[in-house]
Amino acid sequence: MAESKFHASDFELAPDHVLRRWRLPALAIGCLALAASLVGANTSPTQFYQAWLVAFLYWLGLALGSTAILVLQHITGGRWGATIRRPLEAAAATVPLMALFFLPIVIGLPILYEWARPDVVAHDHILQQKLFYLNKPFFLARAAVYFVIWSVISRQLVSWSTEQDVNGECMKRARRVEFFSRAGMMLYVLTITFAAIDWGMSLTPHWYSHIYGLVFGIGQVLTAMTLMIMVTAMTADRRPMSLVATPERFHDLGKLLFAFVMVWGYFNLSQFLIVWSANLPDEVPWYLDRTTGGWQVLMIVLLIVHFFVPFGLLLSRSFKRNPRTLVRVAALLLLARYLDLYWWITPAFYPGHFTIHPLHAATLIGIGGVWTWAFLTNLARRPLLAFNDPMIALELEKA
Amino acid sequence: MDSAPVQSRQRPYKPPVLGRGQTFDTVTDQISSVVDRTQQPRAWWIGFGIGFVLLNLLLVCVSCLFAWGTGIWGVNNPVGWAFAIINFVWWIGIGHAGTLISAILLLLRQDWRTSINRFAEAMTLFAVACAGIFPIIHTGRPWVAYWLLPYPGTMMVWPNFRSPLVWDVFAVSTYATVSALFWFVGLIPDLATLRDRAENPIAARIYGTFALGWRGSVRHWHRYETAYLLLAGLSTPLVISVHSIVSFDFAVGVIPGWHATIFPPYFVAGAIYAGFAMVLTIAIPLRRMYDIKDYITGQHLDYMARVMLATGLMVCYGYLTEAFFALYSANLFEQYMIQNRMFGPYTSIYWLLILCNGISIQALWFERVRRSPVFLFIICMFVNVGMWLERFVIVVTSLHRDFMPSSWFMYYPTIWDIGTFVGTLGLFITLLFLFIRFLPMISMFEMRTLVPAAEVKEEH
Repeated sequence: MAESKFHASDFELAPDHVLRRWRLPALAIGCLALAASLVGANTSPTQFYQAWLVAFLYWLGLALGSTAILVLQHITGGRWGATIRRPLEAAAATVPLMALFFLPIVIGLPILYEWARPDVVAHDHILQQKLFYLNKPFFLARAAVYFVIWSVISRQLVSWSTEQDVNGECMKRARRVEFFSRAGMMLYVLTITFAAIDWGMSLTPHWYSHIYGLVFGIGQVLTAMTLMIMVTAMTADRRPMSLVATPERFHDLGKLLFAFVMVWGYFNLSQFLIVWSANLPDEVPWYLDRTTGGWQVLMIVLLIVHFFVPFGLLLSRSFKRNPRTLVRVAALLLLARYLDLYWWITPAFYPGHFTIHPLHAATLIGIGGVWTWAFLTNLARRPLLAFNDPMIALELEKA
Repeated sequence: MDSAPVQSRQRPYKPPVLGRGQTFDTVTDQISSVVDRTQQPRAWWIGFGIGFVLLNLLLVCVSCLFAWGTGIWGVNNPVGWAFAIINFVWWIGIGHAGTLISAILLLLRQDWRTSINRFAEAMTLFAVACAGIFPIIHTGRPWVAYWLLPYPGTMMVWPNFRSPLVWDVFAVSTYATVSALFWFVGLIPDLATLRDRAENPIAARIYGTFALGWRGSVRHWHRYETAYLLLAGLSTPLVISVHSIVSFDFAVGVIPGWHATIFPPYFVAGAIYAGFAMVLTIAIPLRRMYDIKDYITGQHLDYMARVMLATGLMVCYGYLTEAFFALYSANLFEQYMIQNRMFGPYTSIYWLLILCNGISIQALWFERVRRSPVFLFIICMFVNVGMWLERFVIVVTSLHRDFMPSSWFMYYPTIWDIGTFVGTLGLFITLLFLFIRFLPMISMFEMRTLVPAAEVKEEH
């Protein structure tokens, strides 16, 4: 029986744990990089906003992807979900912070988005027809709605989970969590679809693709999963986390990562094949912009590091069961996620002409440092395991 | 907080998937008794009779088609594709649930699949057989059907490898092969059981031949489990790939209403949705007919209904994106396509589709509905119809009014179109009833692993 074997304090992140120690350095590096970005923003504002958008979407992916996995695991159950629930919640709780990082995009709206420039719209027949959707007030209102929905979902799930630590398992709450998560899942899919259209697709305002939102969503889920694997592997070195984060759990997480990689490839292939084979003048430029002038190199790199290498490695059972090897492929994918977003977003500004700017690094590290600090602080604040979850209790009992 | 001890707790609640009081013997006896008995219940004869009559209708329709040509169908310019492709996609889609249940749910360790996987796989095979008829007959010249295959002939005529219709040939034939193999491999231990129980020497001989000399030794089981898992792994991508390719049949065209990048996942979700509806359509009467409610319990109905709800919502997401992007695209043709679907000459079909696929399934949010065989059966009927209508809407409303108003025409099915479709239903029903009569419809050896006495500490 688990009765007296463990105390809640056993599950806290150890005071000397590397994840705890990284918090302040992360914040410091983040602030420095943010300061550097702001300096850069003065001299080259256009590049700043362009870089900020990619970095914002990248880190948003960690927060929202975690929210999505969180609701998914509340719906489907499974031990894997209970094992990574706390890191998921720690990442999901950063959604309000990401709303803060959205502000520069609000300011840079006319610089980033063609449809927000009245002089362009005045001469563009198609954009005039799209004014009902692509206009500033509606855009901002939608963004506000997205952030409110995401914050409510993550806040509510985190608070119920904390309550469980104190009050123990409660069937009534479990039902409520499941019901709430179903609604949360539907809302996530809908909001991420429209957020992807607003923030990414409308950069090329004439172009549209029905699957865009799903590609975006699976990218976020994949990003979050890589982080969860890395955090679980880093905390699995000590008891009692090591009792729960067994090779079986890494196997589960590895299989999910494998599945997400394949879904990412599947959605991308769906879009590519349909656009390529129809070869219509109003669709195919999106790919032409991304496969010429140096962008094709990035695309090939992406294919290799985002699909073929992880696919080949994750096929192996022993590879997935060993946290040390699994972490490597997770880290590779975490990097590849940025490349993917870069390839997805930046060619909209520089079609057929590969470009990179130091501000990309500065914004990536800037938002990332602060985000990492917030994430690790959330993680350190509560026990690392939802120890009152029946799945976890069962694992601990067996151990 | 620090002092709060971890409280002792019960095991996480996992609802049982098998009725109470079942043992190894009762499982084997009850399931194989359906096959062993000489006299089938009256319901079996009625069902088989209906199927057989309709099967003869298929023979008549197909014979007339071959004699008189495709002119007897309602197809004409611009709707050159209608019932044949609609029925093909509908049947192929239905098949997907069987593969999902047998392969993906096996890999996901969902042991409730055990009660339904056998007949779901059989359903897959029969559905693929019904689907396969249409590409072969739709030209009216089935004797040249081999032209679909790339073969080195003296005329050097090759199919267009860039056409998804050619990929379809490979995808569907692979799918049929793997499904048949998977089904057969799954049957082997049960065939051996039937062989050992058969009193009729001829039946024993036949079952014995197909049991491939199965003796149930440890080595047999060891190899068997490995082979089964490998086949499950092989089948899994097929669930996705076959219907993705079917969706490419439409999506690579440039017709508004067909050319949407969401089509592959949207079609796959629709296929699984339709398939689960069909599995339930079969399971609900079956459990009544043979009194096997201990094997296909309320829990099973609940789980299948949940899958239906989830995939149904994905399909609704597809409808939503189509409507939104028509609006967002600022493309005259896209906008007209949706307007025409919603308020054009086929408007009633579109709204009927929304009613069947979008609105009726909302009842599945309630557990009481999910566990009620009657309600669930009614909803499944709605979905069966709805998914057929969906293909009708996609195929016909997109084709009948495309870019040029001077070539707009209406499509109406003839009696032969309807007869052929109803005829394939007959083929499906006939095969299904023969299967129930001659083979165990539930996997006995897998069910035996669910019996409480078989419970072992499993480590994966």
